[in-house]
Amino acid sequence: MTNVAEGVTPGVDNSRPDDSGRGHVPGDSSMWFFVIGDLLIFGVYFVGYMYFRGQNHELFLQSQARLNLDIGAINTVMLLTSSLFVALGTEAARAGNRVAALQRFWIALAFGAAFPLLKMFEWIPEICSGLTPGKNLFFMYYYVMTGIHLCHVALGLVIMCFILRHLKTSKAPKISFVETGATYWHMVDVLWLVLFALLYLMR
Amino acid sequence: MNTRGQRILLWTAPPAVALFALAYLVFPVFSPPLSPTLTPDQVAAFFRGNVTGILGVAILGNLIACALVPLFAVTAVQISRAATSSTVLTYAYVICVGVGTTAFILADYCWGMAAFRPERDPQLTSLLNDMAWFFFIAPVGTIMVQNLCFALSVYLDERPDPIFPRWVAHFNVATVVLLAPSAFSILYKSGPLAWNGPLSFTLRLTTFAVYIAVMFWALLRAVKYQGDDRVVLA
Amino acid sequence: MSGTVAMAPQPAAEHATSWRKNRKLDQWIAFWSVPFFFNLFGLVFVPLSWMMPPRSPGSTTPHIVDFMHSHNLLIACVILTLAYGLAPVSNACYLMQVRRMSVSPAFRYSMMIGAITGAIVGMLFPMFCFGLGAFRPGYNSGVLTMLYDFGYLAFIGSLGCFCVMWMAFALAIILDENGILPKWLGYYTIWQYVTELMAAPVWIVKTGPFAWNGLMTFWFAMTLYVPWQIIVYVCIYRAIKNQPEAELDNASPELRPKTVEFRSGTSA
Repeated sequence: MTNVAEGVTPGVDNSRPDDSGRGHVPGDSSMWFFVIGDLLIFGVYFVGYMYFRGQNHELFLQSQARLNLDIGAINTVMLLTSSLFVALGTEAARAGNRVAALQRFWIALAFGAAFPLLKMFEWIPEICSGLTPGKNLFFMYYYVMTGIHLCHVALGLVIMCFILRHLKTSKAPKISFVETGATYWHMVDVLWLVLFALLYLMR
Repeated sequence: MNTRGQRILLWTAPPAVALFALAYLVFPVFSPPLSPTLTPDQVAAFFRGNVTGILGVAILGNLIACALVPLFAVTAVQISRAATSSTVLTYAYVICVGVGTTAFILADYCWGMAAFRPERDPQLTSLLNDMAWFFFIAPVGTIMVQNLCFALSVYLDERPDPIFPRWVAHFNVATVVLLAPSAFSILYKSGPLAWNGPLSFTLRLTTFAVYIAVMFWALLRAVKYQGDDRVVLA
Repeated sequence: MSGTVAMAPQPAAEHATSWRKNRKLDQWIAFWSVPFFFNLFGLVFVPLSWMMPPRSPGSTTPHIVDFMHSHNLLIACVILTLAYGLAPVSNACYLMQVRRMSVSPAFRYSMMIGAITGAIVGMLFPMFCFGLGAFRPGYNSGVLTMLYDFGYLAFIGSLGCFCVMWMAFALAIILDENGILPKWLGYYTIWQYVTELMAAPVWIVKTGPFAWNGLMTFWFAMTLYVPWQIIVYVCIYRAIKNQPEAELDNASPELRPKTVEFRSGTSA
């Protein structure tokens, strides 16, 4: 069902659960609650990390040097590209262009799926060479933070699959659902950027 | 709706009870019940000397551990038939039964382990024995709450033709009182409240046995009169 | 119709002047057991036995032995042994709301199974670990330390059973079309799940912010968990209160239980 408002597009369900007719927040407002809360939770981890880094500067610097910066950087590019295609896909969905939306989300999924794969190539050699979470505080933070992030990525990929299925099979795709998923994925991306900077880059 | 399923499950209870009785009578640890005052060395010696008996009953206990679950399951079904506003009592009952049964199994495992490697350090054997007794006698909390949930369902049942006679509910409340002393067995090594004492051991096991018998009768009756009544999906 | 006539003579009951006439008495009794239980739990764990806040895994052996011999631990065990049957009731309160949601019964069955497992590995077992050392003071320090470790790791480090509970609960709330519990609570419940992930490191380190008494794994997790626990029961209170009487299982005038049906809606 379409409402009489700007940007009415045929064949697309632009209604949203809390439709007050004012400027709209993309996606479900509960997702924003989740996103902001999640950012706060990670924020506490970041602050904790910075604090303990200050206490153990040498240790952290030395440990950081042993991380695989290449894979870290490639993963960053993967996620950024994936986010880009999610944004483009959402645009296409809003415009009612289902074919383009599907294509772009598939590409986004492919780039997103590369992330956990590459992570395994990063983690497994590290663990095999003795760089385990228990080794020191830096590595504990590293594995815990990237681990929780990886779970977020996995969830995001699942959500993307549902978006793909929804776009493919529903007659009038609900844009708010697509936007909700996109919001989540962008959050996952932002978190990774901060993680990458803190864990891999910061000297 | 025929209640054949419930009746079949209920009739698994008498053979189960027979097996439990057998296990109880044959178990060296219970005849007479090991005293908490034994030193680790004495406990270890006991286990070394009774390996076959203890292991045999431990294996039997392991196999029949959940043999009374069908009776509890039928009870849960009958609770959900009561005309209360929700199925909260059914859920609480089911969870309590799950937890309580596990405690029994853990006790059985601990005795089994103590007898499995009797040449263990006596301290460890004594520890396992203590754990087994604790898990066997003390965790009355879930049985108490499950019986209270059952009693509540009877008291709150608004049906004009109640599923259970009210005295069954009173009986359940009485069992709660009679089982409670066993929780205090952790505090004493001798006396009536110790795990081998008349209150924690004899009273508890007798109450439980009578309880199963009474509930078996009451459930048979309830299922018999269920007729075409169906239950709410819980 | 017999239905409307039979409903007529109940006007005063709407105001429930006597709580005993309350139509939802079973739900309210279950609900009010919860604050009682949690407060008892809190009193037993903190001022009585000082099991909580958790002692350090890095404590020296004499400290551990001393703690494990404390008589208050035994008393704490006794009280918990009597009271822990109320944990299933507090879980049943979740289940009873999930049942009203439009989602498949599989969600509440998952939660039920998780609750059973959780009560055992997360409460029953560790409780006895702490009681054993105080019961028989002669154990050597190695054994006592093992019990100490087992007790704390089981209390704080039991993860999977609660993972499934919070995942099923969160999904049920988010997918629910009947609006029984607010959607933001569903998202908050996802963080409950995340606190289990955050607690995983307790199995690895013995000091620092990731130990079982650490800043990140215990204290931060508590700041997420405690408000959730309170908020969820406030929401459940509202849900019970707002449940229309016509929807109750005992609402039918003939007071007969309804026929077998998937009250929870379309999916099974």
